[in-house]
Amino acid sequence: MATVEYQRIGKSFGSVTIMRDVSFKIDDHQFVVLLGPSGCGKTTLLRMTAGLETVSEGEVLIDGKRVNDVHPRDRNIAMVFQNYALYPTMKVYDNIAFSLEVAKLPAAEIAKRVDRAAEVLNLTAYLDRYPKELSGGQRQRVAMGRAMVREAAVFLFDEPLSNLDAKLRAHMRTEIRQLHNRLKTTTIYVTHDQIEAMTMADRIVVMRAGKVEQIGSPDDVYDRPASKYVADFIGSSAINFLPGTVVAADGGAAVDTATGQVRIDAAVAAQPGQKVVVGLRPTDLVVDANGPLSAKTVLLERLGHDAQLFCRGADGSFVAIVDKAARFPEGSDVRFAIPPSKVHVFDAQTEIRL
Amino acid sequence: MSVAQVKRIAISDSPWPWLLPLIALLIVFTVYPFFYNVWLSVHEFMPRTRSLKFVGVDNWVQLWNDARFWGSLGVTFAYFAVALVIELALGMAIALLLDAELPGFGALRAVLSMTLVIPPAIAGMMFLLLQDPQFGVVTYLLNWLGLLDKSTPILATSSTALAGVLLAEIWQWTPFMVLIFLAGLRSLPAEPFEAAMIDGASSFQMFRRLTLPMMSRVIAVAVLLRGIDLFRVFDYVFTMTSGGPGTTTYTLSYYAWQQTFSFLKWGYGATLSLTSLIIVMVLAEVFIRLAKVRW
Ligand SMILES: Nc1ncnc2c1ncn2[C@@H]1O[C@H](COP(=O)(O)OP(=O)(O)OP(=O)(O)O)[C@@H](O)[C@H]1O
Ligand SMILES: [Mg+2]
Repeated sequence: MATVEYQRIGKSFGSVTIMRDVSFKIDDHQFVVLLGPSGCGKTTLLRMTAGLETVSEGEVLIDGKRVNDVHPRDRNIAMVFQNYALYPTMKVYDNIAFSLEVAKLPAAEIAKRVDRAAEVLNLTAYLDRYPKELSGGQRQRVAMGRAMVREAAVFLFDEPLSNLDAKLRAHMRTEIRQLHNRLKTTTIYVTHDQIEAMTMADRIVVMRAGKVEQIGSPDDVYDRPASKYVADFIGSSAINFLPGTVVAADGGAAVDTATGQVRIDAAVAAQPGQKVVVGLRPTDLVVDANGPLSAKTVLLERLGHDAQLFCRGADGSFVAIVDKAARFPEGSDVRFAIPPSKVHVFDAQTEIRL
Repeated sequence: MSVAQVKRIAISDSPWPWLLPLIALLIVFTVYPFFYNVWLSVHEFMPRTRSLKFVGVDNWVQLWNDARFWGSLGVTFAYFAVALVIELALGMAIALLLDAELPGFGALRAVLSMTLVIPPAIAGMMFLLLQDPQFGVVTYLLNWLGLLDKSTPILATSSTALAGVLLAEIWQWTPFMVLIFLAGLRSLPAEPFEAAMIDGASSFQMFRRLTLPMMSRVIAVAVLLRGIDLFRVFDYVFTMTSGGPGTTTYTLSYYAWQQTFSFLKWGYGATLSLTSLIIVMVLAEVFIRLAKVRW
């Protein structure tokens, strides 16, 4: 059990600086998800935490102690590598048992823990195989098992479920969550999967090109994205952005866009005349014949439980999630409304939330 | 052949134009000598008539009953085993050390390969001098360290002669192992070692559970290459001890050479060398099977 703290972390590879001024703290028992586009430095941050990469600037503290120069083996960390990093010459059993074997645990205890992990991970039938005799998803689960049997102070997971099918992924998601509820081990979890991030995280850290863009609970990040970038990145269907100007409207404020006038919440700190961008989530848009936003339908894509309606408005393409039973002939006019509380307003220049 | 004809052959899909020169070389220098050797082993040279006489399995029967042959086989195996074990262990140790990127190690790695360009016979001559009872440096050092009595000539004493020959062997060929192992170590993937560090493994545990198993193919290649060579040891014995004192450094190749060229017993010499070949082939086959890994 431990806290992890990053103080003004910077990282350079040679002359290339890929991370700058990253500071945040993870409380004991917390499950933190790192989100961010490919190449933004998630793996590098995990590797610096584990001690596999030198820290160019700033300090990494584990349980309040500076660990910049502590050897990886002395940090008591378990890690699932993005590329698995299995031991090629060891069978699955030994891959999972290795940390326990080097710690000289009694054989019976090792067998118990490995069998338990193998059961959870559906690997029991493969314990006698070598990594090269496994599929990608099976290898990934071995990597997971290797971390699960440890009683580490911190778990680092680098996209541990990326190679699993949807069903297994959902299963593993709950298993990891349960494991965390049981062990309460401080966890840093990297994923590209929105559902994973939303369902598992106590806190989400959104990164952008080596910097932290926003830290908050899943609801925070989703409902109150700190910037246009976060709003764009979070959410399973891409958010619609409409540029416009703030105007006073009866008893409040609104944003005039080419697609229509959108009422905004009274709490938004926007001045009339200010250039802004409004963000409208496809799921928040409601089809309404009297709605202020107008567009022409282009394509209806059925997603199973609902449907995604692609439209073309005055500001370009425009997406809404609609009832799949509804019919929208191609090229027909459609109008949308949205409650003011769901409208995200960003300054056009700084792209910061207002 | 006209230019056009050459061109046609060069761009054709047939592999034979490219393989034939090599096959011809193999036949002339390997296949034919081998069968000639087999043929020789059932004949014997008659010096008086200057002719070869068919003797059937006589040479093979003689071999079976020849105490000198068995003795030389024993010496060869002892030489083989001691040299191989020391060269492997020492080679691995030095390779692990040189694998670190410390200042000067690059130059050291280059220097190491220099022993390999010296012809073994010359290396033998060098070590003959180094171990000279009067002015040899090795003799002097061992005397100084109190490990060797002043009156003992290393290469002329039965208890130390083989060790003296092995010294040249190990000096010259340990770098060969180092170079192979260094190449092997450099090609190991980094990730498993990172994972092992995080799993809490010590350096020794990583070496035993990761480096060694992952290097097993490289080690197997080194054992095969060096092992085959070791079994044919000749140059050092020839230049340093001529098999003596007594028969303490009498190896199989040396015995075969002596029978053939000193005593002109061509048939028996061929039998001895053929035996050597068979043993090497059997050993290599067994070893290759043992070294096969599933991962
Ligand atoms: N050893 C290295 N040398 C030079 N640049 C590196 C090295 N490792 C990573 N980088 C660079 O650092 C940046 C961050 O890499 P990192 O692997 O942390 O990204 P990531 O967020 O994990 O991406 P992904 O989601 O694709 O795994 C990238 O631009 C990458 O090119
Ligand atoms: Mg990564």
